[in-house]
Amino acid sequence: MKVALTNLVKRFANSDRAAVNELNLVINEGELAVLLGPSGCGKTTTLRMIAGLEQPDSGRIAIAERDITDLAPKDRRVAMVFQNFSMYPTMNVYDNIAFPLHAVKMKRGEIDRTVREVAALVNIDHLLERSVRQVSGGEAQRVALARAMVRRPEVFLMDEPLSNLDAKLRAQLRTEIKRLHQDTGATFVFVTHDQEEAMTLGDKIIVMNKGDIQQVGSPHEVFFAPQNAFVASFVGTPSMNMFEGMVSADDTAGYRVLLPGFELTLPARFHNGLAKMTGNRVIWGIRPEAVRLVAAPGENTVGGEVELVEALGSRDLIFVRAAEQLFGVIVDAQASLAVGAPCHLHFPGAQMHLFAADSERSLQNNLPPSVPP
Amino acid sequence: MRVPTSERILAYVILIVMAILVLVPVLAGSITAFKPQIIWVSSPPTWIFEPTLENFEFVFFTRKGWVYLRNSLIISGGSVAVALILGVPAAYAFARFRFRSSKALMQWLISLRMIPPIVVGLPFYAMFLYLERGLGIGLRDTFPGLIITYQTFLLPLVIWMMRGYFAELPAAMEESAMVEGYTRLGALWRVVLPVVFPGIVATAILNFIFAWNEFFLALILAGNRTSTLPMTAGTYIVRTRVEWGNLFAVNLIIMVPVIVLTIILRRQLVKGLTFGILE
Repeated sequence: MKVALTNLVKRFANSDRAAVNELNLVINEGELAVLLGPSGCGKTTTLRMIAGLEQPDSGRIAIAERDITDLAPKDRRVAMVFQNFSMYPTMNVYDNIAFPLHAVKMKRGEIDRTVREVAALVNIDHLLERSVRQVSGGEAQRVALARAMVRRPEVFLMDEPLSNLDAKLRAQLRTEIKRLHQDTGATFVFVTHDQEEAMTLGDKIIVMNKGDIQQVGSPHEVFFAPQNAFVASFVGTPSMNMFEGMVSADDTAGYRVLLPGFELTLPARFHNGLAKMTGNRVIWGIRPEAVRLVAAPGENTVGGEVELVEALGSRDLIFVRAAEQLFGVIVDAQASLAVGAPCHLHFPGAQMHLFAADSERSLQNNLPPSVPP
Repeated sequence: MRVPTSERILAYVILIVMAILVLVPVLAGSITAFKPQIIWVSSPPTWIFEPTLENFEFVFFTRKGWVYLRNSLIISGGSVAVALILGVPAAYAFARFRFRSSKALMQWLISLRMIPPIVVGLPFYAMFLYLERGLGIGLRDTFPGLIITYQTFLLPLVIWMMRGYFAELPAAMEESAMVEGYTRLGALWRVVLPVVFPGIVATAILNFIFAWNEFFLALILAGNRTSTLPMTAGTYIVRTRVEWGNLFAVNLIIMVPVIVLTIILRRQLVKGLTFGILE
């Protein structure tokens, strides 16, 4: 079902900044939307307003064109999975899953059939008689998933359901949630602060900060075409190399950016955005994956030496000190360099990002840019 | 966790000394309760004698101890029931919602526990008197009168203890139930109260003990119809002598129900008092 949030505002008594500020968002039917942002960005508050656990100060929430702004949580036909709560401790697994069905006065036989069917879907059908003490954290979160599914809700809301699990389990459950989403075809709204989780899960990523939506887009869009400096710095690990500098016009009707200790020629796609920007402060950035190690100095190249090497597996993250700045660079493990090795860094124009320093908005005029193969 | 033997021995020594200090007077008294009147205060004390139930017979039947036992049960049980019915929902509200002056109210509640009973007893007596004369509502020497008065001391204890148990639980527990089709009250009843049940038991026992042992307010506000066991204990200390055997017989009658209650509910009590840490 389509979820539409219109001019949603939520303030809390103990803060002068709105937790959620004039938020407008449409999540289409069957989409898996991820609300991504640092803690305090308003993502959980937004989710809780959809669930009805927080009442917005103003604005409207609709599911499938039905205005639910003033409905009690129980009447919204949504299901929610929480970060720090998974199982009712006084009930066993079976009773936990059956619990939402008792609320709708379902017949005993039908409850039994539904519980077993849903338990099988999330692979806990062998745990039905277990008590909360006898299930692991991952299993408990599967119980929560089963409880969410059992009422066949129109919208699934997930508030960082994987954050309290260890890495391996998290990856495993992530895959299962993705599969659940595909199998049920329901609309999912998933909240996380983990950008990797957001990228792997989401059809649509909504990046939030300080109560405002920063960007809405596909995982590729927010990664390759961040609309502002916040999105650029928040999305991607290791994070983007970003430096503040100044725009200058060159003799050939192009533009250069003067950065501390080095300067670069900017590609043509920034030209429209840079008209009348000469002399202004900008933030220039490039992802560690986009930086190239080259043999000799040349255009848009700086020389330096390796200061630190972090192994990531098949690839290494090396930190290069060049022009008195520290650059993160992702290289093949085979091609990696030792600490102290001299090298040249080349910054391909196609993968540079440029933002105005004051508004932090992208200066790129032809979004989205080419996605590298 | 392994506790070193030396610490273990030290702990036992301290516990044994404390147990002797606490239990010897109780034991000596309890033995006296079974002594025939002739050797209540013999000097030196008689340790070997044929135990008798004549003291119990005297206080229980001749001096109507069973009536006072019944009164005590009605007043203590009633007080605890009322305190739980009013206090548990209040504690939940204090734990989950911030409302105008909710913090100040909690502090006011704890301050009630610090008031000496005399400060409460006399105004209650005066109020009951005015109610009786002005409106014809008789509360002096009635069970409701005492039950109402005891709320001054029981309600703060219930609210403070239960708020602690509720605050321990993640709010997501009720929120989950609310999203799954229940009202907040439904979630409280079906999800939260079962979880805090050991806490309710612990709270009920501590409050029951307070009401059961309470002497001073009962002395002021109770009368012939509502005398409690602790009040009758006082009647065995008269101007000329102390009826030791009868006094200790009453004491045992006062102590035994509390001990039995605690033994029956000890698992819930320990769980409630430790938030389940000691399991």
